[in-house]
Amino acid sequence: MRSVRTVLVLLSILGVTGVAAAARAEGVVSLKDPSGDDNGPGSYVYPTDAVYAAGAFDITAFDVEVKGSDVTFKVTVRSKIDDPWDSKSWPGGGNGFSLQFAQVYIDTDHKEGSGFRDALPGLNVRFRPESAYEKVVLLSPQNRPRLQSEVAAKAGALKGAVVIPKSTRVQGKSIVATVDAKDLGGVPAKGWGYAVLMQSNEGFPASTDLLSRKVNELAGQHRFGGGSDWECDPHVIDLVAAPGKGGADEAKAQHDQLAYKCDANNPDATPKVELPMVYP
Amino acid sequence: MRRGIVALAVALVTSAAAVPARADLLNFDLAGRLYTKYLYRNNDSQGLVSYGNPFWTDNISGDNGVGTEFELKVFGKVSKYVQAYARLQSRFGELWQDWWENGDYNASGTNTSGESEGMNHASYIKLRGTWVRLQVPTPSWWTHTLTWGSSDLGMFNAWTVGKVRYIDRDNGKGIFINGNVKQGFFTYDLAMIAMPKLWVGPWWSTGIGDPNLSNPFWSQDWAYGAKLNVAPDWGAFTLISILTNDVEVDRTDPDAVGSTYSTCKDDLGNPIVGCSKDNAVDTFSRFWNSVTTLEAQIDPLDWLSLNTFIGLSVQGLDDRLTANGVEQNQGVSPVVFRSTYKDFYKNADGFAFRQRFDFTTPVGLGVKIEYFNIGQEFNAIFGARREADVLLTEGFIEGGQLPTLNLANEFIDFDEAFVESCIGWHGATIQPTYNVSFPHGTFEVAAEGTLFSYNQNRQNRDVDKVYPDFLHSDGFTDTDLYDYANTTDRGRDPRSVYRRNQDRLSAIGVLNLKSTLDFYKGIDLGLKGKFIWDRDWRSHLTVDDDYLGKIVQVRARLGVGLADGLQGELGVQKDWWFENGRKGTLVTSEDGKRLVSVTGYNDDETQKLKVFFGLSYEYEGLKLRYRFEFLDKDQYREPADRNQHWLVFRSKASLEVNW
Repeated sequence: MRSVRTVLVLLSILGVTGVAAAARAEGVVSLKDPSGDDNGPGSYVYPTDAVYAAGAFDITAFDVEVKGSDVTFKVTVRSKIDDPWDSKSWPGGGNGFSLQFAQVYIDTDHKEGSGFRDALPGLNVRFRPESAYEKVVLLSPQNRPRLQSEVAAKAGALKGAVVIPKSTRVQGKSIVATVDAKDLGGVPAKGWGYAVLMQSNEGFPASTDLLSRKVNELAGQHRFGGGSDWECDPHVIDLVAAPGKGGADEAKAQHDQLAYKCDANNPDATPKVELPMVYP
Repeated sequence: MRRGIVALAVALVTSAAAVPARADLLNFDLAGRLYTKYLYRNNDSQGLVSYGNPFWTDNISGDNGVGTEFELKVFGKVSKYVQAYARLQSRFGELWQDWWENGDYNASGTNTSGESEGMNHASYIKLRGTWVRLQVPTPSWWTHTLTWGSSDLGMFNAWTVGKVRYIDRDNGKGIFINGNVKQGFFTYDLAMIAMPKLWVGPWWSTGIGDPNLSNPFWSQDWAYGAKLNVAPDWGAFTLISILTNDVEVDRTDPDAVGSTYSTCKDDLGNPIVGCSKDNAVDTFSRFWNSVTTLEAQIDPLDWLSLNTFIGLSVQGLDDRLTANGVEQNQGVSPVVFRSTYKDFYKNADGFAFRQRFDFTTPVGLGVKIEYFNIGQEFNAIFGARREADVLLTEGFIEGGQLPTLNLANEFIDFDEAFVESCIGWHGATIQPTYNVSFPHGTFEVAAEGTLFSYNQNRQNRDVDKVYPDFLHSDGFTDTDLYDYANTTDRGRDPRSVYRRNQDRLSAIGVLNLKSTLDFYKGIDLGLKGKFIWDRDWRSHLTVDDDYLGKIVQVRARLGVGLADGLQGELGVQKDWWFENGRKGTLVTSEDGKRLVSVTGYNDDETQKLKVFFGLSYEYEGLKLRYRFEFLDKDQYREPADRNQHWLVFRSKASLEVNW
């Protein structure tokens, strides 16, 4: 009986602290994404290794909160986030998860021609002219020095847009990254646009990819399948599509946005798919 | 006409130039890797790996050397549904100073001929792994693949078939079926795995080296595994079952090589009834081990996760086909020795149960709670041997806990963690964590409290013939200065979970503080404190052999980003071990009920100071790592002339490129 009471007290404490914290934070964005659409343009499948648990890349929610001068980005997936490759033991230490790599692109001015259009290398996507971005926040299991080094080596032109969070951690099914508002150019405001793209962390990426895992025609032990062996397919497993309510039509919208057709004569020269942002 | 021919030729050349090279490359993907390791220490051993083979003497392990290995991976796309893979890799072990060794072995010892150290020092290229994979044409919601050849066996879990470590990832071979329905809602794996003749069974083999076998037979030794997984939105359920079966020939079969009845006549020349040759050889199972696990992961709420795990292991062995490794190998055996030849129900079996609760809150507070109870005879002979961890606790040593006697703390360097066996552990762990951020950084507190007893607690256990005690079952284990033969009192073997007299209770407390500061390229500060209280009342016949170990460990670490891709690390660790009754000799009457003598069991104290620093650098695909360690260890033992002292400087560096 005493043990039951102890558990109840513990649960109460956890619940109360959770509610208290929720009250302090100011939510500015809360988007939903349908589950089961972690298949890119509709055909992608997970790598075959057992670590890639069902739902590991299936975005179900995206939240932005402001707490003082901190802005937290929270990307939630369908399954509990594990750390099968023991990221804490990586050189310099990782962030407590291994598989996911979410990239949050932010359009702060919604002006055509303002900002960057190419996503970070490895994703094989661009943004539409009216959705060019000013900032991209990396929710990665890799530590800051590794991210800085990868960005410097592979995305030097976008370096000014990349925001590496001061902390990235796991909270159940969510990855929570905290950044200083000044690194975003200010506190998130109404009118900002967001594109939340889900990829997988690849610790041994190709020389042209920024820590992202390739999508091939056939799935491999550590390669997604259902795409192309060329670089004409978007390497995005899931994204949040407008209006961000979680409806089934958003899965179709995602499939349409990521639909691609490789140029048979020169596949790698195929124009990249162009994505819109969500303006909540 | 002529102009037309020229135009046609130009058109053909032009169109060919637009496509050609790609067509070949589409089917052929090459990946290369060069890895160089430097290893140095202030001693006189030569080689490229700190801890080599503990049983067979090898000529590649040692603390001083530099060597390089090359790897070439070839991926082929045979057709739309068929892929192939092969990996070629050079043997690691040749020192740069070897200059050249052609692989000839000279039994008289090392000389300057360049033909004396064998293939280990020849850097020869070896076919390390191959597979062919067929993806069966199926509807898009169902993928179904068949693989023939190499696998790292990662589809199972540490309790059943352990994932093979990265450098050995292609050694395991078999036939594998993998299926995935509805994007992971239902997955299945079926496997028929060629058992490693080198370690899965009594005497760490599937027959080789067993004194009872004159003609070991391993080519029909297979393991069979199945895994089913269902993953609804709110959790996952995984059922895994594995059976290893080591078969040997029936030596009474007159057709078998070395048969005791090859002529079907007894020693007096009389015909043996029922004995006749048929040019076929019968086989029996020498050793088998089956492990079945069921794991349920349930995530009812965003802030709550539950994990329930149940396991059962059963093993059988035939004492006609395997000698008693406990009795004949000084208690060093990966299996409990209990023959099931005449009585199946004498098998060694064990249950395992683990329950986890994982609470998280938006304010950065999280709590993990785990209850665990692993049976004293649970043993996963083919389970993970290293680089895995089945319990939350950090344990006595930091590398993880595994439910097998078949651990492999070998072929590792001084900077790699050891694993320990958790067979028989029964207790609970609580791990609260708290994260908070402030304007220029974050702060994280992680703690652990674990209290556990042992299902092996018993008096007068038979460690002479049944339960392997691995010869050294006393004292806190020193993994910094481990020696397999235990010539320097390095403490308990991490596999030693059985003791003749044990009544043990242990507690572990850990506090980790970590802060990251957002200055320049980032700064990490870490402080760790660990306390172990380990009590063993050992024999109930006397208090003179009682053990009380109090281990205190403090570690501080500073990590600094120095430039893009360049990171530095500096740390210091201090250990104090206070051990009352560390080890000694207890003699009792044959039935174990009367004390004859107690000697030793003195109070020892150990102090260790470790200072380390490291650098890692990545630039344009070049990866450099360096680690230096200074270690000063004093072991104060009674009487004082048994004191020991170590002063060690050692370092390891690596350079790696992949393309």
